[in-house]
Parts: sequence; structure tokens; C-alpha cells
Amino acid sequence: MPDKTLPKTDVVIIGGGWTGLTAAYELAHEGQRCVILERGNHRHDATSFGAPEEHDELKYALRATHMMDVRKSTLTFRNDTSQRALPMRRLGSFLPGEGLGGAGIHWNGQLWRPLPSDLEMRSHYENRYGAQFIPEDLSVQDWGVTYDELEPHLDFFEKICGAAGYAGNLNGEKRAGGNVFEGPRQNEYPNPAMKQPVSSTKFGKAAERMGLNPFPFPSANVTQKYENPYGAQLHPCAYCGFCERFGCGYFAKADPIICVYDRIKEHENFEIRFQSTVMRVEKSADGRTATGVTYIDADGLEVFQPADIVCMNAYALWNVHLMLVSGLGEPYDPETRTGTVGRNYSYQTIASVDAFFEKEIITNPFMGAGALGVIVDDYNGDNFDHSDLGFVGGAYIACKQYHGRPISYQPTPEGTPRWGAEWKRAVRENYLHHADMVVHGSSMSTPGNYLDLDPTWTDAYGRPLLRMTFNFPDNDRKMAEYVTNRAVEIAQNMENVTSVASSNLAAVGSDYTVVPYQTTHNVGGAIMGTDRNTSVVNRYGQMWDHHNVFVFGACLFPQNLGYNPTGPLMGLAYWTLEHLKNDYLANPRPLMDA
Amino acid sequence: MGQEFSRRAVLAGLTSGAALAALPVNHAFAALDDKPFYFLTRDEARFLASFCDTLIPEDEYPSASQAGVVDFIDLQLAGPYGKGRYLYMQGPFFEGTEQQGYQVSLPPAEFIRQGIAALAEAEPRFAGGDDGLRLLVTTRLSEGSVDLGSGLPAKPLFDELWTLTNSGYFADPMYGGNKSYAGWEMVGFPGAHAYYLSFVDQHNVPYPQPPMGINHQPGRDGSMPSGLKPQEL
Amino acid sequence: MKSRTLKTCVGLVLLAALAPIPAMVGAQDTSTPAVGALESRLDDERTLFAATISDTPPDDDLLELGRLVAMGGAENVGSGMACITCHGGQGAGDGSGAFPRLAGLPGWYSYKQLNDYASGDRPNEVMTGIAQRLTEREREAVATYYAVVQAPIHRPLGEVDQGLMQWGGQLAAVGSAEKGIPACVNCHGPQGTGNPPSVPYLAGQYANYMAYQLQLWKDGVRDNDPMDVMSAIAEKMSAEDMRAVSEYYRRVENPETTGE
Repeated sequence: MPDKTLPKTDVVIIGGGWTGLTAAYELAHEGQRCVILERGNHRHDATSFGAPEEHDELKYALRATHMMDVRKSTLTFRNDTSQRALPMRRLGSFLPGEGLGGAGIHWNGQLWRPLPSDLEMRSHYENRYGAQFIPEDLSVQDWGVTYDELEPHLDFFEKICGAAGYAGNLNGEKRAGGNVFEGPRQNEYPNPAMKQPVSSTKFGKAAERMGLNPFPFPSANVTQKYENPYGAQLHPCAYCGFCERFGCGYFAKADPIICVYDRIKEHENFEIRFQSTVMRVEKSADGRTATGVTYIDADGLEVFQPADIVCMNAYALWNVHLMLVSGLGEPYDPETRTGTVGRNYSYQTIASVDAFFEKEIITNPFMGAGALGVIVDDYNGDNFDHSDLGFVGGAYIACKQYHGRPISYQPTPEGTPRWGAEWKRAVRENYLHHADMVVHGSSMSTPGNYLDLDPTWTDAYGRPLLRMTFNFPDNDRKMAEYVTNRAVEIAQNMENVTSVASSNLAAVGSDYTVVPYQTTHNVGGAIMGTDRNTSVVNRYGQMWDHHNVFVFGACLFPQNLGYNPTGPLMGLAYWTLEHLKNDYLANPRPLMDA
Repeated sequence: MGQEFSRRAVLAGLTSGAALAALPVNHAFAALDDKPFYFLTRDEARFLASFCDTLIPEDEYPSASQAGVVDFIDLQLAGPYGKGRYLYMQGPFFEGTEQQGYQVSLPPAEFIRQGIAALAEAEPRFAGGDDGLRLLVTTRLSEGSVDLGSGLPAKPLFDELWTLTNSGYFADPMYGGNKSYAGWEMVGFPGAHAYYLSFVDQHNVPYPQPPMGINHQPGRDGSMPSGLKPQEL
Repeated sequence: MKSRTLKTCVGLVLLAALAPIPAMVGAQDTSTPAVGALESRLDDERTLFAATISDTPPDDDLLELGRLVAMGGAENVGSGMACITCHGGQGAGDGSGAFPRLAGLPGWYSYKQLNDYASGDRPNEVMTGIAQRLTEREREAVATYYAVVQAPIHRPLGEVDQGLMQWGGQLAAVGSAEKGIPACVNCHGPQGTGNPPSVPYLAGQYANYMAYQLQLWKDGVRDNDPMDVMSAIAEKMSAEDMRAVSEYYRRVENPETTGE
């Protein structure tokens, strides 16, 4: 029995990040009384993220002070079922957020749209290459929603962020200088692309000479003063070099606090409760609906918040965890391959390529921004012919200049020792003369990569930890190697380059590790689709088994695309909210026939 | 623990003649010299100075200990990091694969304390030993080929110490290392006051702004004013 | 500390042909410091960058020219206006709001303001004419000169409401979450003492001048900073906010520019 039961609210929203605050904004304006439960604290760009205090590499980049508290909760990890999963005792490979704004505070602002073919992954590949083309060990699926359906929502979120970039496909017209592979946009980017430093300029020129199609990084680092559709006012980016892992005190990186929270916080239908950790979603007696959520409040009391609608807006992994501990949906069993919750967890392949310049090229790496750089998308998705390659998927190649923070930014040529006199000299000699490239790739889902509950370890509330079983499928290793080699070729073709080094975290023969940071792009586990046997939610983000539970975020992705997830998942969020507002509210029911 | 001693004396007495002359001058917390370390014992501080200077030796730029890294590590171990603030510490503990990361049953401060003691016992001549020996031992530790006993895996110990040393050399000087902006001067990082809107697209132009840390006062070196407790994290 | 090479800077192509320097006019103004005394500050930590707006290191010739220009000895001296008439030989300015402190302002910043006055990008009836009469080299020189001089701040600075000061200090340090105003210290250097080369100090500047400039930014009259950042900020500020933050910074010490 809970310590107290509160009056019923229309909508309870679990998590105060990008999707949770957006759901509250849209539903509160629809007359729905919304309560957000956020496990972390209040914080604000002006008062919490201002320089110079925010520009503390040790505190925020190494100690990850804006992120979740692993003392209270983490997950266990193993590469495959033959191993004993052990707790991820320290944050490393990925950095989920905590507190107002969630991980949307410390993102880089790399703002992508999915390719049309990404969203119809299985049918697209089968149509183009034949029914047998997708390797058998992959559980790749269509998303159940198309690019054309998402386009207005992707477009709107770009306006919320004040995205900076150059359209490569404006209503079907391909335009050099933008991403000619992208799906058609109905509008230009709201703001012009970012300025470019010398590193990415040289990369872009080399790529162009090679017949590739370079374009500026699509960015939520705003380039001029801008007011978004909610009335939030953003300022131009200072290129300060403290973006990812940091909050932005300049009002320049679009984040959920300034873009959404500030515009809804005074609304009569809006309430947010901090230090409120949801324990479980409660189900009705017949199991068809949820009745609300039980959470531990700031005073440590167990509180039941009844609600007509439950929105699950936690980080991808924790949405899945909450379903498993609440008994929502049917857990996935890798032996029988039945059940859906925890199925199709996937990640992202990350490789890096370093180009070292002659000394007259001075890159000033500390002049950076989270989405500063130039992209080559020719080897992403199905933008290139896969016929003879033996894999599906791809990666974008970015020459980026995020930061020159000196604990983390220590470029050294191949063969340099990891420490000692030679290392010290190499860091000093290359710090100002280096271009940093990333190969940011897709990751396909497989029957053996999944999420479930750990039998041994628990969180601070006594609930079993989430257990992650994951390794890169061979498909991804082949893909990552192929595109990394393309990136090396570009690096070798850059002017004034003296040497090139590369390192691939999804290389053939190496296993996925939770230790070095790769990317906070964990996806899947509660995927969307049109078949209730292979998806947790329908194409509107509504749970098949409990029609008043709507699920948001990257946990919906059936496999990971080569891009960063925030753009796609926010497109999905607005898509879900459109159907929730315009269809479900008036007539609550399953929006798709099972 | 009985560690009432001058940190200057400890650090001065530890290495070869060349470094000896430089240390008392460059030591980061001259104002605190009469106070004990927060966490480290005399022997641990000596060991760490030798170890850190093997990782980041003196050249045209200061060595790790000259740049205050031992003071930095002392503060880190005494503070939340050392106590396990950034770790999930619920048992049971099992040895895992490299891919599963830190599985030591001790928080970092205690792990490092026990690790140093075991290493000092295995290699008693390390602190104050010649460069060749120190390089050899450090290399073996980094490869995990030193047996320090159960519960004290060598490679994680090396990784912990190397990350601390590297961080101490380059973190904001308010944490006690990077003294007089040694690390930032070395690479050319201008520091916490960062506004490059007019310059990011100026290609190949040096930006020789002298570093400024978070607590920078014009004319000072970015460390905490003496008498104030340095930042713990 | 390692000595830094003065090889700098900033990609500005300053190709002003070296104009012949006219003979010194008039007597030495005793209120302006001797060039020799300033040279040491050319590689001072805070003015180093300020003084290097060309691709050659500043030298005493440049300083000599700068001082001459400040005293009204420019080549095209038609206006008869000397900087020192309003801004003082040491760049102390005055508190009217019209004449800011120039002492210790980053040279690159002052140089850019002179160019913007000349082009009309920073509209000002008085300064436009003056700046247009200066050659490139003279603008560079006088900017360098004022970057390296120091001027005391005369105290007391007058009574001000403590609540206003507190609000000003808050805006300076953490901005305002309610109004969406980012903190001044984000960009304006340690305690508002400037972030050379492009960001001027606020500490010790005249309150009337700063409040007036904020109003000009808010009104869109002034928009000559990169991407018009200051307008975006000023638009969110009330007159009281502007007064508060200006009075606050007026009272923050800036020892590098005062020599104190």
C-alpha cells in the first residue's frame, strides 16, 4: 500500500527531458492536466550552466556531474549469455542524464532526420537487393511509420531548436552544399549553417575533390538570435568548446529547459515534481490499461498518482526497465524468441580517424561546438550500393571540432606510447594541428542482443537492475570497417596532412565494451511496429497491451540508424502526440487493431 | 595515521638531484606546506611522485609532480571520487572481462592505497629508483603483468592512476594540479573563459591568449587563494 | 612562465601603408605616460593579446604613434579633436555616459570599434567623423596605446541602493532564469575584467556608459558585435536591469587597468 494516494490527474509523464516536457506542453495546451515526475532536480541554463564555472572539464566531462547517479541505479552487462553479467559500476560507454532536461542538457546538438529508407529498413533492402539479402541473424524491421508521415514533425522540432544547416533536398530539389541524400524537406533550416574552422574545411574540400557530397553538420547550436514557435529566445553560439557533457549558459544550444520548460512552466495545466522516482506503472484489474504510477517522492514516501494516461518518457533503457519491473507487456525470451519487451536492443558503431597536419595548419581545437563540422553522408544508410558488400546499414563520416578540452583531447600519431616522455611531446606537438573525424554508424538488431532483469543486483529501491546482453553483430563490424576505410581515404586526401591514424571500437575481433565513451545512443527494447508479436507499441507509440500507455524516445527504434537519435525520436514524439491529441483523447481505445 | 609532516619536505626528499632543486620552488601548495596531506601518507606521496613523474616526466615543461599532480591526487582521494561517489558499489563482486570495466570491491582511494602498498612491497626500490627501473615497473603494471594479490588487479590500478595523473596535469588549477597553468601552457589551451565567435573561422591564426582558469584573478595563476580549501571532487 | 612569442594575431589584414608621422605637435601633455614606461606592458598577460592586431609585434614606434594620435596629432588632423580631450591621456574617460574608459581595453576591440565608427556600423555623430579621419595604422596605433595605459578609478563611486547592487551582481554572475538572460561572466572574462581580444571589460567601466550602450543594443541602434549577441541579451532587460548590472560592474575592481 502506498503511503498516500493523490487525486487523479489526466496525464502522468515519467521523466522531464525533451520528450516529457514536449508531451506536457502539447497536452497541457489541449486542456489536459499534466504531472511530470522527474527523478532529478530543477536546474536552469542561466543559473546552473553559466561560464566560467560550467567550463570545468574534470567536474562535468570526467566526473559526469550532470548525468545519472550510478550509486543508486545502473545496469549489468555481458557480451553474450555465456557470461555472467556484472554491474556497470561506473559510467563509461554512454551517459544517461538526470534532472530537468535529462540528457537533452548535455547533448551536442547534432540534429538529424532519418533517411526515408531507414524507416522502411527491411522492405527497402528486400525490394532493392532481394528477399534473402538481409543477413539471417538480424532481426531488422520496418518502423511502421514513413518519412512522409514524420516530415512535418521533424520540421517542427527543427524549428523548436532553431536548427542551423543547409537543406540538400528542398521539396524534391537536390541542392549541392546540403545533404543530397536526405528526404525532401518542406522548409529551409530555420537558421544558416555554422561557421567552419580550418580542419573541417580541409576535409570538405578533399571530399569534394573525391566526388563526394560534403555539407555542414546539421546543428542545434543556434547561429543567430532566434525565437522558436513556443516563444523561446535563443542566442548565437559562442563556439566555446564546452558542449557535449555540459549545459549551455549562452542560451545557444537548444535544450528542453529553455526551448520548452520555460514556455510551459507557468501553465495552469502543468506541474512538475522533482526528486520523484517512479517505481512502477500500475495496471487495472483486467490488465488492459494502466491506472497510474507509484513513485518515491522527495521525502521518501511512496505515492500513488492515478492518471487516465501514462506517458513513458524516461531514457530509452529506463523505459524498458520500468516496463519489466511493472509487468507491462511480455518480456522477450531469447531462447524461444517470444515476447517483446527488451527485444531488439541495439547501439551504434563508432570509429575515429585522426589526421595530423603540418605545423602551419593551426586548428585551434578549443574553438568548438557540439555540432561543428562537415559531414560526408555518401556511405550512410542505403546511400551507396550494398550489392557486393555483404552488410546492411552505413555510417556518416564527420570531420568535427567539438572541443579542445585538454584532459580528453590528446591527439597522438599512430605508434605513440600511451604515456611517458614521448607521449608528452606528441600531445604538445599535435594539439593545435589535428583534425578529428568520427565514423558514426548504424547498429542492427539481432535475436541475441536484448534487455531483461538481472537475477543478482538491485537498485537503491530494491528493484532488479536492468541486464544488457550485447555485442556488435558481424554485419556491423563489416560495415564499420568498410566506412572507416573510406574515412581514412578522405583523410589521406586532405591537404597538408602528414599522417593518419584510425581506431574502430566495433572492429572485427573486438568485443563491445562499456568502458570507453562511445555514444549515448542506446536504442530499442520497446520497439514500435505494426505487428504486436514483434513490437511493444504500435506505430503511434501506444502500447499494444495497455492502450492508455504511450511510449516515447529511442527505445522505439527497431534498430539503430547511422544518425544521432534526438531528431528522429522527437519527430516520433510529435507524431505520437498528434494522434494522442487528435484521435485518442476523444475516444480512448487501441489506435490500431491488434 | 600520524602523518604530521611538511609536504614540501616529503616531496623534496624523493627523487634524483635534478628534480630536487626544482621541487620546493614549484610545489603547488607552498602556503599549505606545514599542513599534512589530506589523505596520503608520506610514503604514498613519495611513491606517487615517482610514479606520476614516470608517466609525465620533466622536459621543457614541468613534470607531473612539479605541476602539483600529487596534491591533486591527494585531494581527489580525500574527496567524493576517492570515496566512491561515482561508482555503484553493491556486492557481490566478481572478476569480470575487460569489457565489463571496474569490478574492484574497494572505492578508488582504498584501492589505490592497498595497490600502492602491494606494489611498494613487490618493488621496494621503485620510489627513488632509477629511471630504467621505474619505466620497467610502470610498463609491467600497465600491461597487468604484476601480481599484487587478490582483489588488487594491476591494470585497473594503472588505469586509475594514469587517469588521475593525466587529469591532474590538465584539470583547472583550482583542483591543485596544472600549477601555473603548466598543462594548458604546454598545449596552448586558453582555459575556461571561452568566446570564439569572431575567431572560429579565422584559419591558421594562432590564438595566444594566456590561459585563464575558473578562479582566474588577473595576474594570478588560477589556483585557489591560499587559506581557502581547494575544490574537492 | 614561458615567454610567449608575439607572433599573433587575429587574421585582420592590416595593410595600412605606414603613413609618414607628422612632427610632434605642441608640448608633451604631462598627463600621458611616457612610451618607455608602457613598453613593459606590451607583453603583459592581459594586454599582450590586446596589442597585437597586426601580424608584426607592436613596438615603441606604434606606441609613439598611438600616443600622438591620442593627443590629436593624427595625419588628417582636420577635426582638431584629440582623444585625450574627452577620454583623457590615460583613458580614464568620464562618468557622463558619453565617454567610456579606454584604459586597458583590448586593442583589437578598440580597433574594431574605430573601424565600425568609421563605416557607420556603430553609429555615433562624434566618433564617426573622428574615426574616418584616422588611417588604418593610426587606428591600430591608438587602440594599442589605450590597451597598454592604465588609469586610476577615483573613489568614492557614489551611493547606490544595495538591493539594486545585489540584483546587478546576480545578473552578472548567474543571469536570470526567469527572463532568459545569460550571465555576463559567460563572455566578459574573470569578474567582468574582459576576455581579449574581442570582449571588453565591464569591471570599472562607467555605469552611465554601460546602461546607455545596453539601451542602444536593445533599441537596435548598436549592433556591431558578432551575430548581434548583445541585442539578443539587452532585449530581455528592463531599464532597471541595465542600471543594476551597470552600477554593479562600475564597482568591481579591475586592477590590470588601474595599475592598483
